Amino acid sequence: MNSDRRVTPSDVLRPRNVGAPIKRTEDPRLLTGNGEYTADRKPDRPLHLAFLRSGQPHARIARIDTAAARQASGVVAVLAAEDIADDFKPVIPFSRMPNYYATPILPLASGKVRYVGEAVVAVVATSRYLAEDALELIDVEYEPLGAISRAESAVAADAPLLHEAAGSNVLIAREFKKGDVAADLQAAAVRVGGRFEMTRKAALAMEPRSYTAEYDKRRDAITLYTSSNIPGIVRDAVSEALGLPGHRLRVVAPDVGGSFGSKGSLYPEELLICIAARKLRRSVKWTADRLEDVSSSSQAFAEIVDAEMGFDENGVATSLQADVIGDVGAYSIYPWTCGLEPVQVVSFLPGPYKIGSYRGAVRGVATCKPPTGPYRGVGRPISTFVAERLMDLGAKALGIDPLEIRRRNLVRPEEFPYRIASGIIWDKTGFIECLEAAAKAAGYDQLRSEQAEARKQGRLFGIGIASYAELTGIGSRIAVAPGMPINTGSETAKITIDSTGAITAAFGVASHGQGLETTLAQVVADDLGARFEDVRVIQGDSDEVPMSTGTFASRSAVLGGGAAKHASKLLQEKIKRVASHLLEANADDIEVTEGKAVVLGTDRMVTFKQIAKAVYSDMKTLPVDARDELSATYTYDPINGTTAAATHIAVVEVDPATCFVRILKFVVAEDCGRIINPMIVDGQVHGGVAQGIGAALLEELVYDEDGQLLTATLVDYVIPSAPEVPVMDVVHVESESAVAGGFRGMGEGGTIGAPAAIANAVADALSPLDIDVSILPMTPERIFQLIETAKQKSKGKTDE
Amino acid sequence: MKPAKFDYVSPSTVEAAVAALVASNGEGKLLAGGQSLLPLLNFRMARPSILVDLNGIEGLSYIEDRDDRIAVGALTRHRDLEHSPLIASKLPVMSAAMRHVAHLAIRNRGTIGGSLSHADPAAELPMLATFYDATILVQGPSGRRTITPREFFVDALTNCLEPEEIVVEIEFPVLKQDGWAFEEVARRFGDFALASIAVSVLRGPSGLEAARVAVMGVADTPRRLDEAEAALVAMELDDRTPDRFSEVVVSQVSPNDDLHASAEYRKHLLGQLAKRALQTALAMKG
Repeated sequence: MNSDRRVTPSDVLRPRNVGAPIKRTEDPRLLTGNGEYTADRKPDRPLHLAFLRSGQPHARIARIDTAAARQASGVVAVLAAEDIADDFKPVIPFSRMPNYYATPILPLASGKVRYVGEAVVAVVATSRYLAEDALELIDVEYEPLGAISRAESAVAADAPLLHEAAGSNVLIAREFKKGDVAADLQAAAVRVGGRFEMTRKAALAMEPRSYTAEYDKRRDAITLYTSSNIPGIVRDAVSEALGLPGHRLRVVAPDVGGSFGSKGSLYPEELLICIAARKLRRSVKWTADRLEDVSSSSQAFAEIVDAEMGFDENGVATSLQADVIGDVGAYSIYPWTCGLEPVQVVSFLPGPYKIGSYRGAVRGVATCKPPTGPYRGVGRPISTFVAERLMDLGAKALGIDPLEIRRRNLVRPEEFPYRIASGIIWDKTGFIECLEAAAKAAGYDQLRSEQAEARKQGRLFGIGIASYAELTGIGSRIAVAPGMPINTGSETAKITIDSTGAITAAFGVASHGQGLETTLAQVVADDLGARFEDVRVIQGDSDEVPMSTGTFASRSAVLGGGAAKHASKLLQEKIKRVASHLLEANADDIEVTEGKAVVLGTDRMVTFKQIAKAVYSDMKTLPVDARDELSATYTYDPINGTTAAATHIAVVEVDPATCFVRILKFVVAEDCGRIINPMIVDGQVHGGVAQGIGAALLEELVYDEDGQLLTATLVDYVIPSAPEVPVMDVVHVESESAVAGGFRGMGEGGTIGAPAAIANAVADALSPLDIDVSILPMTPERIFQLIETAKQKSKGKTDE
Repeated sequence: MKPAKFDYVSPSTVEAAVAALVASNGEGKLLAGGQSLLPLLNFRMARPSILVDLNGIEGLSYIEDRDDRIAVGALTRHRDLEHSPLIASKLPVMSAAMRHVAHLAIRNRGTIGGSLSHADPAAELPMLATFYDATILVQGPSGRRTITPREFFVDALTNCLEPEEIVVEIEFPVLKQDGWAFEEVARRFGDFALASIAVSVLRGPSGLEAARVAVMGVADTPRRLDEAEAALVAMELDDRTPDRFSEVVVSQVSPNDDLHASAEYRKHLLGQLAKRALQTALAMKG
């Protein structure tokens, strides 16, 4: 713990709930099996969906014969593209970006299939078993058009086109430029570079995607229960696509078992289930099985980056250039577009460093794979991997310690706000403070001596550092995804004290594991002056607030928390006004705390219950014009948002016998501003780092040249389990941000820093063999091949 | 991912189970622990007309001391083998290997008869049966017969059983040994082995009198390495023995490439494990 940073004046005045490690209020129901997930919904006599999915990577659909399936036992309807053509308008993932082609989102493949796993026909039956039996009776005739398996070959002039109307397989191209990179690289004392790759990944939430559309005949209305983390965006998009106004389309994300981004886009199945419910005037359910989830939910990363960095003789990075090719899969997703992941790589590549000149070019290329989409960290896991590898390569070339070279390049406290070369502005954040705190907590100098000792014994022992910065809690001035037209820059809180004195706080954000029911209640309790246990938080329900989006992009503590603070203050003013009547005191002399209004310095007080009774029930106590409904709504917009940062340090040992990497130590020093709940922050860091370990060492979706997924089960798609995740040391550098509450977003950071820190540690461990790390995950097989190649090379040298 | 339609029967004797298999005309499948069969049913890769559930048959789950042999009933769960003091004292290689068998939930349900019948080339129990040269007792319409592991494991996921036959017991000889070792490497603890080796040695007046070596994960079936055993017995025991043994072991296998490991990496791993295993075995004192 960095003790000199912990005691600040705000800590002394710290309110009682924000900052406290309060146990999550959602846990008792979730841990005892009493949660209610989408699949737990029990509408009246629901029908069940099953999808026939394409086994072809790229083919024209010549004919679909569903006659036998329609006759099968229990089947109510069989729907192909032409059966629903008049029931919806396609959803277009629009963007103002130039050089971008928006592929429309359709509920079922129409004309062509573009990846293995794409939904072609939907069967609606009285049970999922019977629906799946009927799938086997459907005959689809395909005319193969040739798989487009690799982004690098898809850009060739003679490559078949996945979307003819786009005229190219490059769906998005963009370039960022500042200064004269070529000249600065020319003038650099040292230039380092390479080709870096982060392979394709699955998000793999524990709960697969799940939708239940509950049909209300009386009103021709639908309530869509969805495992989405963007229920607000889904409501608006489905409303538009189906021509159903919001008061006939309610979208609820109930308990959701994780997303990590994979439930953060509008899905064809979400459209289809609403279309089917409306068409059949019945409630319909569908839950993806694991195979469907892995092969049709949005995927992550899949980028190759050619990058070069120039340093002066003092180790100051002067210039950086990168060419990125992103394998974005078959479609652009709604609302983020296919630019989200790859464009973010080039916009964040300079990271927390003061690099003078920059050129970053990116192409997002269509291939026959499921679309890439948001995944915890978005773009920054790979931009950090590349920048941090380059920093270490520069340090090595110049003979400077990796810790020292970062000291020389990070934005320093006095230099904020700082605009990096790609144009992003960092507000004041503890970049240097995180670096130093991580080094201190890890015992960096001691580690380097241990390493020297280990190397004498021939052991492969490595230390890796990664520093990064991210934009969180983004307001209305910045689009979360490039050129995206919808607003994700504000969130609403609506707090009500009802006639029984109970407090309900409703939000549009949608927790899918973040613990927002706890943290938002902590904020409301402090700013309203209520007891924590008296505040009920409702979230993820489009009926509760007029407009919302959801929980993504590390936004909910900042936007939800900010809205909670403002709405709480407004409601507290109302409470004070009523209390001043009841207590015959000046409103300024009243303090609201613990669910009571108290006249300062006296024992005269009224409870919220008494106040509610006076306002709503007892028509004698208050004058009519003072009976103001005890409710306040506030829509908060942080305008720009705020920065969050961290430094990760990993210590690893590579076993030359097995080629396995063992993580000996992992330290994170992070600045997420004022901490609402340190236990939840620690949990977010632990979980994020665990996923980062997956990206660094284990996880990889492998598609073969024919576009077939080879890692479709959890036997072959290997994720970290408890033994693969080490005990971590998390240090909190709590520098308050400028947004409401001083909060910063922190849900994604663990995944951003860990892959780079582990990659640098593995490279450091293998450096006696003259091996570099340029692709993740560093599987035992890859390490074996690198060691073998290095042996051959050094043998070649000795032979000469 | 739901299974296709099937019938289900739960007989209370092995005879009745065999009769049910006969009646199914080769379309029936046995259900024991269900740890491999149920995923295959859900993927619709297995489509039996009838499931014959063995779990209602009494007397198929036991670990019995027969002095120089240990008999294990086919329905014995992995967890029982893992925690059996008898297995620990008489079949220590098996005892050491059992903790590598998948994960706790799977060990609670999975059975030895099921694992052998499934014949996964990277699973521990088929390898152990091969290592110990166990006797596999099966029952069919014309009574009982015994099968050796070499006959039993035909290919990856393929055994030599007739469609109406059921594994009822496996008998493991207690080895005379002075030292032993079991080594395995998997991507994660509990995953299928990338490579694994079991070694047992019996010292003689000079050098070794006998040796036993089995490997898995490097061929379509688990394998006893006869040449490596003979070579090891012929070797002089010195500091270089583990390295020489490792070379012989590697020369005896020709694994395939797969998603998780190339053939060269598997050979490298097996060589490293062979060396480590022999060092451990030779370091034991009687």
